Amino acid sequence: MNSFVAIYRLVLKHQLTRARIILVGIATAVAAFVGFLFRNDFDATGSLVTFISVAGLGLIIPVISLLLGSGAMGDWYNDETLVYVWLRPVRRSIVAAAAIAAAITVAIPANLIPMVAAVIASQQTSAALWGTVLATVMVTLAYTAAFGLLGILVRKPLPFGLIYIFVWEFFISRGAPGAARLSINSYGASILSRATDVALDFAGRAEWATTAVPLGVTVIAVLLAGVRLQRMDVA
Amino acid sequence: MTDLPTSPPTMPGAPHPQPAPQTAAVPPPPPSGGTVIAQGVTKAFGSLVAVSEVSFAIGPGVTALLGPNGAGKSTLLRMLCGLSVPTTGSLTVAGGNPRTNAESRRQIGLVPQQDGIFERDSVRSFVELAATLSAVPDPVHATDVALAAVELDGPLDRPLGSFSKGMRQRAKIAAALVHDPSVLFLDEPLNGLDPKQRRSMISLFHNLGETGKTVVVSSHVLDEVERFGSNVLVIARGRLAAQGDFRAIRALMNDQPLRFRVVCEETRKVAAALVGGGLATGISIHGGTIELTTADAPLFRAQLARVCQHYNARLYELTPLDEDLESVFRYLVG
Repeated sequence: MNSFVAIYRLVLKHQLTRARIILVGIATAVAAFVGFLFRNDFDATGSLVTFISVAGLGLIIPVISLLLGSGAMGDWYNDETLVYVWLRPVRRSIVAAAAIAAAITVAIPANLIPMVAAVIASQQTSAALWGTVLATVMVTLAYTAAFGLLGILVRKPLPFGLIYIFVWEFFISRGAPGAARLSINSYGASILSRATDVALDFAGRAEWATTAVPLGVTVIAVLLAGVRLQRMDVA
Repeated sequence: MTDLPTSPPTMPGAPHPQPAPQTAAVPPPPPSGGTVIAQGVTKAFGSLVAVSEVSFAIGPGVTALLGPNGAGKSTLLRMLCGLSVPTTGSLTVAGGNPRTNAESRRQIGLVPQQDGIFERDSVRSFVELAATLSAVPDPVHATDVALAAVELDGPLDRPLGSFSKGMRQRAKIAAALVHDPSVLFLDEPLNGLDPKQRRSMISLFHNLGETGKTVVVSSHVLDEVERFGSNVLVIARGRLAAQGDFRAIRALMNDQPLRFRVVCEETRKVAAALVGGGLATGISIHGGTIELTTADAPLFRAQLARVCQHYNARLYELTPLDEDLESVFRYLVG
């Protein structure tokens, strides 16, 4: 077993807690119930896509990604167990990549299950399903990696992350078209809008950018996390 | 054991009424020749200086890093492991800077002071993880060896969070040993261990020192350090207060006035006799208790019983008030 796999497995084990599984279960039940209510809507697809865009991509997905991403290395940082990994002769970029990969491994199903449940419960087209899946995956990648970096930048990543999600992603970027370019969830909303032909104010990103930007954010966050691990003081 | 001069003990920077072993006018030569070398190391957190101008060299064998809580021991150990960067000065461990040199870090085993541990990991997987990350060729075998060294057996597949502090402490020691490092930094490693386990771990540290490893054990408990029975580095208020053989440093302490509490009958007569005989100064009497200062502790101890016997006064208690570590440091750093 190499270092990457060892760290990946370690983080994976610590990410899967009962409380998180319950949280995903609750999110799934709520999303499925809302999707069910859309079933007989006059514009069921529009209602569903708006729900996925606002409540899913704008709220549920970033919050779940924050919980999982910031804990990947942030838990080590906060409970002072980082020393057990840091002191070993392993490249920092491998530590960061393995930890964030593990968080993403948990975050993708944790975010996909409620979103897919909403789509299935609303009995919408396969285009809505695949649009939701792709948007969720892309947004989850970027958020989880970015919050993974946040976890080792600050001691209390959750308040910082929540402020970012509510203030920037949820309000400012939705109110100002220019700011939307700097909002991760606008790229997911663009994927969803394009797949379903439902117009969303917030979703004007170019097709190439809807996958390239989230992937770019993911890679940059992993690289910066490696640099941060190299330079930080470890308790 | 060590290739470094250990005698006489040195007390750099310690205000001392006796002629100081090192004179302030002549700066000490830069330390050299050890597996662990610190040269002018200072660590400041804003305006707080945690470690100040510390220089030393340590060779193979056991060295105790002694100091009261908050003295700067853990900060110094963290810098020695590369976990933290000195504000000024340089550190060399196993031939390299542990902060930047992975090979140097490969030679380091650390038992950190903090309780934090991967609670959901089992003992076995915690130690095996350390072996894997250190690229040990056979992590499973190395784990078995390390667990045996710290005498950990039983339900090793249970989560660490369910174990006692002593078990977790031994798991941390096993993880520090698993890759057979040449330098071991152990920060308060006996915390949480019962007396039998303490004896066993002290013996293990001695054995490691005797096999040529450099073992640095930090502690704030004087008795514990005495049982390590070897060189000490004394840190107080972030400064290196003394270095050398522990017993020699304690001998220097005996030159200092020591305080005692005596509980006996006829306190006034006994007190007057002690002062009259030049055995005590600064006496105070509270009911049946005398608190006094003596410049010659051995003579005072020898004469006290005779004085009491002379006045037919029963002696109930003789307690040194200055033999705790804080008092030793008070003498060392003023």
